[in-house]
Amino acid sequence: MSAAVRTGWRIGAAAALRGRAGRPLSQAAGEGGGAESGGGSGSREAVERLVREHPVVVFMKGSPAQPLCGFSNAVVQILRLHGVEDYRAHDVLQDPDLRQGIKNYSNWPTIPQVYLNGEFVGGCDILLQMHQNGDLVEELKKLGIRSALLDKEKDQEKK
Amino acid sequence: LPEFPLSCSLSPMRGPLLAAARGVMGGAGGPLALTIRAKLTAALQPTHLEVRDDSPRHGGPPGAETHFGVLVVSGRFAGLPPLQRHRLVHEALRAELAGPLHALQIIARTPQQWQSDPRAPSAPPCLGGSKRERRRG
Repeated sequence: MSAAVRTGWRIGAAAALRGRAGRPLSQAAGEGGGAESGGGSGSREAVERLVREHPVVVFMKGSPAQPLCGFSNAVVQILRLHGVEDYRAHDVLQDPDLRQGIKNYSNWPTIPQVYLNGEFVGGCDILLQMHQNGDLVEELKKLGIRSALLDKEKDQEKK
Repeated sequence: LPEFPLSCSLSPMRGPLLAAARGVMGGAGGPLALTIRAKLTAALQPTHLEVRDDSPRHGGPPGAETHFGVLVVSGRFAGLPPLQRHRLVHEALRAELAGPLHALQIIARTPQQWQSDPRAPSAPPCLGGSKRERRRG
């Protein structure tokens, strides 16, 4: 493993242990993301406020009513399957500063991004995996959200 | 667990990723595809690696090389949760993700996981994204 990959892994792993996104590598290298200064919508402070404002926060392209990207739509559909309709969704296409700022914050290069209880959990691929292996039901339970799929299974058991 | 009842393009199919990749692999020799392949090989020493150019499915012309899917099977992923596995892949492709690589679907498995389940879901359909194109049928 190259030194760069090892470093990225340690930063990522350490961030996961701390329970929040670690310092982005671009910042560590001294390069600015352009969205870090002052109180702009892409600043760490602004993003921090957004990810903490609700147990379930999604940064996506488009809106839950009209996603504009297949990967963002997948996230919306998965949440809908679990009966999660009350969450905060932010359309990064409307705000270039936020679009860059959220990537800096999580040190994650793509959209969509899903945050549970203020903690970055991943993008569409990871949410799909969590849905398929049952982890998402458990994570929602920790947030006090009962997945609709549990009730669906209960109904099926009754029949 | 209930079946994942999304649109048909998201239903887990058996082998289409492999089949499509095999069909495409012969031709997926664009410069970015080759770079992705080389960098992932160097960083993760995969026992199995598939690199799929999804750009045509997102409105780009063939060979646009903007949207990729990678399937990486590597012992390096052992003991790592999905988030950390994906971060390893991102780190290997950091320059590309800062540049022309616009989207990256990642499936990251250990050799044991891949052996016990050699299936992978296909990528979701494009809904236009930044280009705001018409929705694919």
